[in-house]
Amino acid sequence: MTTPTDTPAPVAGIPATGAARQVWRRLRTRPAALASLAVLLLLVLLALAAPLLAALEGQDAYAYHDDLVDSARGGVPYGSFGGASADHWLGVEPGTGRDLFVRLLYGARISLLVGIGATVVQILIGVLVGLAAGLGNRWVDTVLGRATDVLVALPMLVLAIALTAVVPRDFPRPLLLILVIGFLGWAGTSRIVRAQTLTLKSLDFVAASRLAGSGRWRTARRELLPALAAPVITYAAILVPTNIVVEASLSFLGVGVTPPTPSWGQMLSTAQTWFRADPAYVLLPAGLLFTTVLAFTVLGDAVRTALDPREASRLRVGTRKESSR
Amino acid sequence: MRQPSVISRRVAAVAVSVVLASGAAACAGPEDAGAKSGTSGKGSSAPQKGGTLTVLNAEAQTDFDPARLYTSGGGNVPSLVFRTLTTRNREAGAAGTQVVPDLATDTGRPNKDATEWTYTLKDGLKFEDGTPITSADVKYGIERSFAAELSGGAPYLRDWLVGGDTYQGPYKDPKGLASIVTPDPKTIVFKLRKPEGEFPFVATQTQFAPVPKAKDKGAKYEEHPVSSGPYKVVRNENDGERLVLERNEHWDPGTDEERKAYPDKIDVRSGLDEAVINQRLATSSGADAAAVTTDTNLGPAELAQIGSDKALAARVGTGRFGFTNYIAFNPKVKPFDNPKVRQAISYAVNRTSVVNAAGGSALAEPATTFLPEQEAFGFTPYDHFPAGKTGNPEKAKQLLEEAGFPNGLTVTLLHSTAQNRTTSPEIATAVQEALGKAGITVKLDGQEPNSFNEKRWSVKDAPGFFLSRWGADWPAGGPFLAPIFDGRQIVTNGSNYNHAQLNDPAVNKEIDEINKLTDLKAAAARWGALDKKIGEQALDVPLFHPVYKRLVGKDVKNVVISDWTGVLDVSQVAVK
Repeated sequence: MTTPTDTPAPVAGIPATGAARQVWRRLRTRPAALASLAVLLLLVLLALAAPLLAALEGQDAYAYHDDLVDSARGGVPYGSFGGASADHWLGVEPGTGRDLFVRLLYGARISLLVGIGATVVQILIGVLVGLAAGLGNRWVDTVLGRATDVLVALPMLVLAIALTAVVPRDFPRPLLLILVIGFLGWAGTSRIVRAQTLTLKSLDFVAASRLAGSGRWRTARRELLPALAAPVITYAAILVPTNIVVEASLSFLGVGVTPPTPSWGQMLSTAQTWFRADPAYVLLPAGLLFTTVLAFTVLGDAVRTALDPREASRLRVGTRKESSR
Repeated sequence: MRQPSVISRRVAAVAVSVVLASGAAACAGPEDAGAKSGTSGKGSSAPQKGGTLTVLNAEAQTDFDPARLYTSGGGNVPSLVFRTLTTRNREAGAAGTQVVPDLATDTGRPNKDATEWTYTLKDGLKFEDGTPITSADVKYGIERSFAAELSGGAPYLRDWLVGGDTYQGPYKDPKGLASIVTPDPKTIVFKLRKPEGEFPFVATQTQFAPVPKAKDKGAKYEEHPVSSGPYKVVRNENDGERLVLERNEHWDPGTDEERKAYPDKIDVRSGLDEAVINQRLATSSGADAAAVTTDTNLGPAELAQIGSDKALAARVGTGRFGFTNYIAFNPKVKPFDNPKVRQAISYAVNRTSVVNAAGGSALAEPATTFLPEQEAFGFTPYDHFPAGKTGNPEKAKQLLEEAGFPNGLTVTLLHSTAQNRTTSPEIATAVQEALGKAGITVKLDGQEPNSFNEKRWSVKDAPGFFLSRWGADWPAGGPFLAPIFDGRQIVTNGSNYNHAQLNDPAVNKEIDEINKLTDLKAAAARWGALDKKIGEQALDVPLFHPVYKRLVGKDVKNVVISDWTGVLDVSQVAVK
């Protein structure tokens, strides 16, 4: 789950300046990328505005509404589409009558927070380890390489379940999830960074910097890091949706965020038996999870293409093809 | 009074018993809407002999040896093969909670103080090979259950029989147990070390099934146990995963008033997913039309779906097994040492939310008493801290203020993460939500089932506030109240069920007094009064009693569900 093998091979050496503008210019020409971006911005906005929207609807995420579910029929919500009404825009949860709209919004907070937070941790560790392996001597490289191999070989989900089970319950769960997923999932990043670093090391501008008297780490910071930005950003965009799914899986298995905190994975877990009796209850979290992951994936792919110098050169000489999607 | 090793052993067994009790309940048999409708399923014609009944189960019939089975009333499938001295009355509803004779001519003749029980065997009893069943075979069957390699059964005999605590079983100690006497091939006498008025209930368990010494193969006996009932085992694959039973020609229906034995063959298939079992029963195609389940309930979502389908709804049997889900307090932990805090929580609980979390009113009934709502248990209604349907947060706040918590308080509730709708997160959050309205902030501590059980069964580590549950090994007050409230049953080095760690001499004495009664009706009334009295201390908050809903295939007839087991009785089912 951590190392897609078809990772981008944007060759290093793009001039760092103006890269962002250039990427944006290329992304602008891709409707799918723009749509994904819009969806993601909307999701982030909704998640941030969850308390406001909850107030607007007049509901909160935890209040039970026993009168809205049919107790004699297993607690299925009264009414069609999961009990959707003017008071409860997306219906209520079977058995409890809790408002689904608000719970989905708060669930988005968990998904995005853990998905992005874990990615930041993975990238930070991955870049540090990758740089150290690429710049260090053979001994350092071997040790770090083996460590990375071991991490790749570990069954991440199983380990994450074990780790989340032993940590005291008082520890904030979202932070715990970020750390667990982050510390178990940096292997792919570090491998890419190491490979790039090795390539870059032999390039002229790096050598020039070294000759000009810069130390190893100063070179890394001033010359290598900017050049590594492209592959790392690309990889990050692929990691985010993966991490969102891991969080959902852990919550699905009951070791993610703890009830009553809503999360999409947890909702899916309780919803799975309801897909015939109350399809809305399953479709809402599943649809949101699907949309979010798809948007991140499409955007990540577009960023990768935009950062790809080969793609850029094709553009320049006018041989653009409708390429990889 | 008992040695520690015996206690811990006994306790371990009881722990298993709780688990199995629910399983056994599940195992006992389906029936249809309780006592009201006698027959369920389609077809109004009288049940006929013949055909093959398929049993679709989640759990395998593991260790199919009468010494090793832990059952309530002899179990469901096991009872087709093993006859016992007494058995449960195979009738619907409350009548099904009675003990009736099986191999014996009556339910037992006690001496004056109920320390000695005498049984006489019926005439014409035979094993599947045609040899007659004697009292020595019954004695040998019981003795086997004391062997360490045949563990698994209920702990009662080890505790009750004189010398039972030290006896090692017939393989190590071939002289046998002196407290079981067989003066002649028809008579068997049990000598107990204390009065036990409910002994006839225990004599329904499979340990009381006869085992011919000549055919005993120790731990391998379970592969082909010798039948005394209407069916014999012809196939037993993968330790009970598939069990095929066919007619035992030497079973004489004239000696057995309880088992109807309509089908010619019974095919028990296990290891199935619960959703698959319910789906197959609902579809009822092919052999599944003549299928039942003895261990799989309908879930809330499945009930919601069935709700609109009348034909399907007519095939759902409803049953009740004596079981209570409750909030347990450990008054050794602050602030639960304060009765007012415990009362405040009792008032604040919203049983409507809790029942909905447990699957709705079709699958759970709100409880204010610790004893299940059945006459057999001695059910005596009380509601010392009336929370109404949805809780009384005002009264709770007032009590908290009196207790010295005018600004509310924060407590931690231990629950399990199992998806069982009894001690699970759904129930815990419903409690949390209701208590929040009374100013009690509840933090949830969800643990995976093993560590959850370890914690709640530990005298040392038990938290002050947790979800728990209890089911009885037979429908009477004894096995329900004694393990939970008898101070002498507080177990410090094993699994403790006396969560409140109550050791009240008056309560202990009353338990001893009731155990002397052989008039079960009189005993039931006393158990009910005791429950009501203990309830005043608010040592627990009863939440709900579960209700079992089970589907049967469309060709299944004569579904009988007793209040003993809450599930249909396989021995009554017909498929023709």
